[in-house]
Amino acid sequence: MSTIEEIRAHVADKLQELDGVVGLRRTTEGTAPYLFHAGDDLSQLVLSPRYPLSTTVSMLQKRFPEARFGIVARGCDSRALVEMAKRNQIDPERLYLLGVACTAEEAEECHCADPAPDLEQWPQAELIGAPVPGAPPNPMVAEYDDMSLEERRVFWKHQFRKCIKCYGCRNICPECFCESCALEDPAWVEPGVLAPPFPTFHLIRAMHMAGRCVACRQCELVCPAHIPLTVLYDLMRRDVGKLLNYTPGADIAAEPPLSLTLE
Amino acid sequence: MNQSIEQPNFEPRIVAFLCNWCSYAGADNAGIARMESPANVLPIRVMCSGRVSPEMVLRAFRSGADGVLVLGCHIGDCHYISGNHRTAKRMPLVRNLLGYIGINPDRLRLDWVSSAEAPKFAHVTKEFVETVRALGPIAEEIAE
Repeated sequence: MSTIEEIRAHVADKLQELDGVVGLRRTTEGTAPYLFHAGDDLSQLVLSPRYPLSTTVSMLQKRFPEARFGIVARGCDSRALVEMAKRNQIDPERLYLLGVACTAEEAEECHCADPAPDLEQWPQAELIGAPVPGAPPNPMVAEYDDMSLEERRVFWKHQFRKCIKCYGCRNICPECFCESCALEDPAWVEPGVLAPPFPTFHLIRAMHMAGRCVACRQCELVCPAHIPLTVLYDLMRRDVGKLLNYTPGADIAAEPPLSLTLE
Repeated sequence: MNQSIEQPNFEPRIVAFLCNWCSYAGADNAGIARMESPANVLPIRVMCSGRVSPEMVLRAFRSGADGVLVLGCHIGDCHYISGNHRTAKRMPLVRNLLGYIGINPDRLRLDWVSSAEAPKFAHVTKEFVETVRALGPIAEEIAE
């Protein structure tokens, strides 16, 4: 049985006890997140293209506060859910996580260090497929320290100039769920200016991602201007690890160092 | 790069975020004691150094500040108990981020000045103005 068939069989099984399972459904109209119910055609359940289903789960859990849902989750989905749980965006007790281990090629493509969900973070979770070792980091991140200030400036100015301010990076991000966004506040980002003034828009987002970014790479995937955003976010992830000893998405019990908890 | 050497008239503009309870009082006391501190510094009073968000620092640079100074209470002395802990975690990250996009991180400085440390306020501001003077105008680094 192939991985996808195994997942479909598992989902069919779990649908007997759950109120629904969130996955990707491919129809003739395209592929989109979908809440599968018992009796649905599970041959439509697919794994790609990668899409942050964690946001869908959060939305559904808030709308149906009693329901128990499942999710077909990759490593990045699981990490995103971990950070969301800490910020009261999902309830882990009402979630069943059907983990999918990414293949070595997929891990390579995403420069993913952690291509399978960590089942220990979840009360109810299972894993399909054999986890592969993590892929090496983005070569640009690895060599970043050798770049001079001037080289970095030239590089990023060129990149940020391409920005059309579509907010795609924010909208796709599983960790962007604030009700009011600093990127829409005229005090911080001047409205009506394209590209967004250097160095505001992208740096504000990069700072807000510190301690949150789980390296799912969705922002870079959706960016219509092909700005290599994850280079910046990976560097911030590295710094948060080094300076604050925190890895977003790794441990559901660890307190996020930069978030506001009112004692 | 460093045009400040050829531009003897370059006077850096510094935006200083001062915490109401310690550093702003420290600056006040420096004035009362007639200690000389540079006129390059534009003080902005905030209730706590923890109020200083990265957005505020970036906007200061965007608005033409050549350097940004964040001064707060010493760790353990925060009026809000742990406000400056946030500053202490946040500002090093902002500094690194500035470096990553090619703005010299030394343009942002975080320090602790209590209300009793008027001489330290004068010293830190003087030192910072000289640091930024050597770095030159910000316009060269953020110009479109």
